[in-house]
Amino acid sequence: MIPVVYRANFSYLVRHPWQLSLSLLGISIGVAVIVAVDLANDSARKAFLLSMDAVTGEATHQVIGGPRGIEETLYTRLRVEHGIRSLAPVVEGNVTVDDVSLQVLGVDLFAEQEMRSFTRRSTVAENDDATRSLFRTMLVEPGAVMMSVATADTLGIAVGERFDISAAGRRHGALLAGLFDADSSQGLDNLVTTDIANAQAWLDAPGRLSRIDVRIADGDIAYREKLESVLPADTTLLAAAGRTRTTAEMSKAFMTNLTAMSLLALLVGLFLIYNSVSFSVLQRRRLIGILRALGMTRRQTFTLILTESAGIGLVAATAGVVAGVWLGEQLLGLVAQSINDFYFRVSVTDISISTASIGKGVAAGVGASLFAAAVPAIEAASYQPRLAMVRSVLEQHSRRLLPVVALTGAGTIVVAVCVLALSGRSLVAGLAAVFMLILGFALCVPLVVKMSTALLAPFAGLAGGVWARLAVSEIGASLSRTGVAIVALAVAVSATIGVSVMVDSFRLSVGDWLQQTLQADVYAGVRRGDMDRDLIADFARTPGVEAISTSRRAWLETRDGRTQILAIRMAPGSYAGTEVLDAEPEDVWPSFDRDDVVLVSEPYAYRNGVGPGDDVRLRTRTGDELFRVAATYQSYDLNASALLMSRATYDRHFDDDGIDSIGLYLADDADVDDVIAELESISAGRQDLLINSNVRIRELSLEIFDRTFVITDVLYWLAIGVAFIGILSAMLALQLERARDLAVLRALGMTPGQLGRMITLQTSVIGLLSGISAIPLGLVMAYVLIEVINRRAFGWQIDMAIAPGILVSAVVFAVAAALLAGLYPAWRAAQSQPALAMREE
Amino acid sequence: MTTPGGVEISLQNLSREFTEGTRQHRVLDRVSAEFRRGETVAIRGRSGSGKSTLLNLVGGIDAPDDGQVIVAGIDITQLSERDRTLFRRRHIGFVYQAFNLVPTLTVADNIRLVLELNEVPAPQIAPRIEMLLEAVGLSDRDGSYPDVLSGGEQQRVAIARALSHRPAVLLADEPTGNLDDASAEDVLRLLDTLVRQAGGTMLVATHSARVASFCDRVLELHNGKFTSTPGEPAAT
Repeated sequence: MIPVVYRANFSYLVRHPWQLSLSLLGISIGVAVIVAVDLANDSARKAFLLSMDAVTGEATHQVIGGPRGIEETLYTRLRVEHGIRSLAPVVEGNVTVDDVSLQVLGVDLFAEQEMRSFTRRSTVAENDDATRSLFRTMLVEPGAVMMSVATADTLGIAVGERFDISAAGRRHGALLAGLFDADSSQGLDNLVTTDIANAQAWLDAPGRLSRIDVRIADGDIAYREKLESVLPADTTLLAAAGRTRTTAEMSKAFMTNLTAMSLLALLVGLFLIYNSVSFSVLQRRRLIGILRALGMTRRQTFTLILTESAGIGLVAATAGVVAGVWLGEQLLGLVAQSINDFYFRVSVTDISISTASIGKGVAAGVGASLFAAAVPAIEAASYQPRLAMVRSVLEQHSRRLLPVVALTGAGTIVVAVCVLALSGRSLVAGLAAVFMLILGFALCVPLVVKMSTALLAPFAGLAGGVWARLAVSEIGASLSRTGVAIVALAVAVSATIGVSVMVDSFRLSVGDWLQQTLQADVYAGVRRGDMDRDLIADFARTPGVEAISTSRRAWLETRDGRTQILAIRMAPGSYAGTEVLDAEPEDVWPSFDRDDVVLVSEPYAYRNGVGPGDDVRLRTRTGDELFRVAATYQSYDLNASALLMSRATYDRHFDDDGIDSIGLYLADDADVDDVIAELESISAGRQDLLINSNVRIRELSLEIFDRTFVITDVLYWLAIGVAFIGILSAMLALQLERARDLAVLRALGMTPGQLGRMITLQTSVIGLLSGISAIPLGLVMAYVLIEVINRRAFGWQIDMAIAPGILVSAVVFAVAAALLAGLYPAWRAAQSQPALAMREE
Repeated sequence: MTTPGGVEISLQNLSREFTEGTRQHRVLDRVSAEFRRGETVAIRGRSGSGKSTLLNLVGGIDAPDDGQVIVAGIDITQLSERDRTLFRRRHIGFVYQAFNLVPTLTVADNIRLVLELNEVPAPQIAPRIEMLLEAVGLSDRDGSYPDVLSGGEQQRVAIARALSHRPAVLLADEPTGNLDDASAEDVLRLLDTLVRQAGGTMLVATHSARVASFCDRVLELHNGKFTSTPGEPAAT
């Protein structure tokens, strides 16, 4: 049996459905955003790990080589000369079929038996006719591949059908010989397996392997040491799990930032919950007063309010989880796209719903409700029974608390600054400081609103008369309602300012950087693989081309992660394209061309704490060697792992003569479009290349940049949605709270139109105060995002640029949002019945 | 604007029903009465007898289901909601039991609000407020907010506000209901004096014999009908 006191309160909630609905909606959106981001991140990460696990199979370790992998003779030597049996050679790369990007895994079918379950069907392990036939086809038929049912469906290819595969800009014939077993093909979407010889031919890697997979029994240190002792100097043995983890961690900062954005929506929702609960307490002051007078203790009052909030939180969180799953499915594409653009290939189409994500959402919803309800619950419990019936006492109480609250806010800001200063390079601490800044700011806003309205009210009175003054002074006089709504909108708007200024500054910096970096007039390259050497020579001879630069992007793997080497052969005009940050260019470049030195990208320098004069250790063909850092150069490389090396140095230390792309410097009188057309005609039928002018490359780069921030946009628009609901809720609360006052105004002769205008003016001022209050916090947020968060997450140095348009539009937006949210309350106020004024309270 | 023969308010067969759940409750049942200009009349009756409803109908706050309300020669039952509001603004003053001052406006601004709504020229507003506050004995409280005033003081501000625009009719609903005896006596004397000075008509809804004793006549309202003869001075 529910105690009657709970029924009395429940009945109150049911009689105020809009208030209840808005509370539920606010919490639900906050929870939905958290659950969605968590699920999207988790699904992308899981899909990647699943795919890596499937591809790794039973292998515990992998022998990794240099930029061009390892000699395939090493595999034979290990197996025959050293008697190491649990090995499987792999050639790995990327191909496309009808513009669908696929990972190709070239395997030795004889060595696969105990390594990967999904290739087993094509091996001799299963000794039946169908398997033998498939095995034979895979070995004998040129271009024979296997893939999952889902991939075959996506490509529209049936078993036995021939199709074209494109690799390194060249087309090859392929045959779909068979499909993976349905029960072992999880995580294998967009993957094709083929015989190792096919993969070597397609990826232009004759005689080379990407890696050798090794299976070492748990704790068999002797076996591992034996293997390590016979490996050549340019190879290394890495644990497969560690390699997967290192790759997955590359996107950690990106995912942490998304999680922080999702928490912002909940934070704004928190204000909304506080608003709703404190309002419902305020509304029930008579009921609470009666209950207290009848003998309900303070503890019971406190428990009553908290229980009710927990109930609301639970219902809202449940709805939020459901909405979150749906939203997560929508966000998944955006998250996966960004990860694909910048980190690693991940193929994920379905959200994987984890109990942990749902638990987090429910805990966040209920926890936030309880946290937000604590203050109103304490307040309700603290009133004397007699006082609980007097509204002005409540407002006086909150007015008295204002300076204390503002001081607490100032203190929180100071603590946030200390956390920023003392937390080193911790991204999580940086984000925690951002939230503390927001909280501190939020606590200061009510006092600012009180002072602002006191200042504004006389001017409003002079301009519009006493009703205008009433509209403005009411805001300050009802801070328990309006203050929190203003804070909610201000926080949401400040987030838009902060993120917009950051993105805008970032975009400008990247734009400038691209402008400087792309010194060549035309760039030609192959998506993955090597450019044809003859083609490069033909391009260099093309009329209008004065000089060319070449570039090779190579990856080196160690236990600590992956390092990207950009091996550049500079053209005379190339040097200016690289901005040297901490040394004199005239000293750097001669040494760069001549000595064993590297330039480190700014993110690499930040992440690894290296600078000019330091050494970096790289695994070359002769083993580990030290390269001196000549300087740091500006780069917005997301992987924070790039080193710049001259081609001559690269050639001295690495067995790799490949070229990925070239820059073509044209004569002054050459027409870029004409040259591009000529280059395309030269390459036609020989190799499919991407040939673009520097202008086009810049455009494409900025398109990718903008795509990356789409998810940020989505998240902060959701936060604004919550704030909008906050304003609507607060204005409706105010209107209900002031029903009697509004009725008196109507009885005194104020027309519905005048009353509506008064409420509209009130909401406009609320929007204006929110917008103006948001500017300082927005700018501080932008500064922290640029100087602290981006730096700690990605190592970028961005010049902060504040476009006045962002600030103006934020204020206009805040006013517009508040006005829109105030329309219905204004209409409701206009409908107020003057007869209400005659009734005794 | 005044009806011939000095009749300020005329109620003709006035009926008003309210729905309570599924059942209709007739609060006023074909009530007729006339009130002369300058007259003060107490409407007495028990709780729920229809006193406040009657004042609401006279003030144009509510509209009857049937019958007519003619105030200062105007049949307000024929007016639109907006015109009733404008009529009320111009011709009616209200004094409530709960004072109903706007808590976020000062004493002076509470009075100013009504004057501005009536578009009284700005130069005339300040002297008028000063005069009214002096009349109610609150000259020194013009900048105070209502919540720092006593109940008696708040009601005196409400009276000043109600009379600020020189309404033809003052409607008072239990004006001393929230006051102690001494404050009630002060407020009644003030109300009586000021209304008589202004020459307005006052209807007071009350169940107090003491309040009724200040009026020229008393009408008893019982079950939606007048039980004493409207128009006859009543013995107090």
